Amino acid sequence: MTKSPVALIRSAEEAERLDDEEFDGEFLESQPFDLLDAPVIGRLLQWRHSRTLLQIPLLAVSVVMIFEGLLGPTLSPKNMATVLTWVHFRGALVLAILCAGNLFCMACPFMLARNMMRRWIHPRFTWPRSLRNKWIPVALFVLVLFCYELFGLWASPWLTAWVIVGYFAAVLIIDGLFTHATFCKYVCPIGQFNFIAATAAPLEVAVREPEVCDSCGTKDCIRGRRDASSPLVVLQRGCELALFQPAKIGNMDCTFCLDCVHACPHDNVGILSRLPAGELMSDPHRSGIGRFSRRNDIAALVVVFCFGALMNAFGMVSPVYTVESWLKHTLHFDSQATVLGILFTAIIVIEPALLLGLAAWITRAWAGVRNGWLAIAVRYAYALSPLGFGMWLAHYGFHFFTGLYTIVPVTQNAFAEIGWPILGDPRWTLVGLPKTVVEPIEFGFLLLGLAGSLLVAWRLAEDDSEQHPVRAFAPWGVLCLVLFVCCAWLMNQPMDMRATMMAG
Amino acid sequence: MHGIRLVDDPTLSTGALKMSWLSLRGRRRAASRHFRALALAAATLALSASACHRRADSARAISRAISFEASIAPQPVRAGDETVSIRLADASGHPLSRARIQVEGDMSHPGMAPVFSDAAETAPGSYRAPLAFTMGGDWVVLFHITLADGRKIEEQIDVKGVESR
Ligand code: SF4
Ligand code: SF4
Ligand SMILES: [Cu+2]
Repeated sequence: MTKSPVALIRSAEEAERLDDEEFDGEFLESQPFDLLDAPVIGRLLQWRHSRTLLQIPLLAVSVVMIFEGLLGPTLSPKNMATVLTWVHFRGALVLAILCAGNLFCMACPFMLARNMMRRWIHPRFTWPRSLRNKWIPVALFVLVLFCYELFGLWASPWLTAWVIVGYFAAVLIIDGLFTHATFCKYVCPIGQFNFIAATAAPLEVAVREPEVCDSCGTKDCIRGRRDASSPLVVLQRGCELALFQPAKIGNMDCTFCLDCVHACPHDNVGILSRLPAGELMSDPHRSGIGRFSRRNDIAALVVVFCFGALMNAFGMVSPVYTVESWLKHTLHFDSQATVLGILFTAIIVIEPALLLGLAAWITRAWAGVRNGWLAIAVRYAYALSPLGFGMWLAHYGFHFFTGLYTIVPVTQNAFAEIGWPILGDPRWTLVGLPKTVVEPIEFGFLLLGLAGSLLVAWRLAEDDSEQHPVRAFAPWGVLCLVLFVCCAWLMNQPMDMRATMMAG
Repeated sequence: MHGIRLVDDPTLSTGALKMSWLSLRGRRRAASRHFRALALAAATLALSASACHRRADSARAISRAISFEASIAPQPVRAGDETVSIRLADASGHPLSRARIQVEGDMSHPGMAPVFSDAAETAPGSYRAPLAFTMGGDWVVLFHITLADGRKIEEQIDVKGVESR
């Protein structure tokens, strides 16, 4: 079975061609997996009411959580509102993003309430131009983290229930007044968290065949479809987040609502697989967003996403109390809000400003990158997003897995409380997976995040400096390593969760 | 960190919130009363709410006639083994013997493993239970008490700021 010389050359060429293609990523990209083609799930998601179907159970659970939070047990570990919010919801959200994409927004109960409201109330205003950015969500995101610590939200079913009520109220007010998905795009802190995290997700709502879009005359994916006879009647929404499919890149701002999928008359929008975090490795113009490098607001969001993860983890280990009591005793601050404010400013504002500023300055001076230092800092800030996501995954994943089964006794108890103990006596000894199993998983998440961040930073550096990519990369690589070490150190500290930070 | 209290002292009820929020509590009650009214409108939920409140009321009526004291040693409370001491007496101050007391420690954070132990009577009306705090932080200790005559009482004390080792 010897091959003829010609055949040998042929197969060598073939192999080389395949190699090249694979190297360019074209081989992968030419046939991505499409979730909408998957046997059962695909059919389900293609159904126009699939989102509503996913939202209904979440809305029902939210309502139950509100009632349970207000009327149920006052003790946080026994109440469904606190257990579901702070153990299961947060963990499931980040794990879903890791495994698929922004599934929480897809099933968002707030949007179901909003859609119901919009049957009767039609918003009349457009969101002011000056607010069409992420600065409000940046502030809200920090505020949420701050209140979480200050009021010990995890420890209070009652406050947790009111947070949920407040969220519904905010959604209904904002989207009752302003058109399109104003709340999602310009306000919602959960949404922004999801958008940033989902830049590292393996799936993306994207065009299947670009050529089909080139010849498309209707652009329904963004305009939607209206009734021909009465144009005020919307038959199918287009993208409410201003993402035009043929020019959409990545997961930023995409709620996975699938409106574009249902709107496209050519069935040309899918949920496609891609390289996680690949979208951060270049800086193209993105529909509805622009270039990342010109969006200081989104870069700031990434920074608070990443450093907020550190702060949030720091808040539940014992060194935080040492720092706080030091602040209290040496600087004589005795209001908890002041002490927390100082901590937050140090960790979420000053620390990143110094670290990113320094790294940008080194990149500029050492690698000869021509941009100003702020522009460099903004550009590379996006590289921190996978690491930040790794930190959130490690933290929320920890609570999720170690408290996985707690929902069982809590539900048993809720039924018993309403005098209908069909699930039997609550088994409070059911808790979750052992720490020895969860800790390696946590560490794995963190490593994954680090790898992603290093890769993104490297690709950006390669683009920035052909002569000295290593020099451009080095400061960012070191920064990622430093943050990684900080987080790994935090993970190894003894846990210590106090709703009253000043008690000790 | 002494959890000594009389059961019918209203300022010491429900522990999950911080002391500095005492001011919030008034509003909390008012709001929750409001909400309860709303719940009454919805038939099923009304049933549930009133059912659980009726039960809470009867437990309170029993406990009003009983004095309950609990303390934890050694102080300050640290993660690890601690001892909980309990004293039970009736309204006239006579010690209540032969009660069954299950002690349960819960973190203020949801999703953490609770710890359990049974108290043994060391003298008439005095009980003692070991309790292993598995981590630092705010804990709540619950007492599931069954009196000799079969009546049941639920009590709780806050153990804030358990120091981690
Ligand atoms: S952005 Fe916020 S409101 Fe919008 S779908 Fe996501 S979570 Fe829901
Ligand atoms: S309509 Fe817009 S937000 Fe919704 S899935 Fe499509 S691109 Fe994403
Ligand atoms: Cu935590």
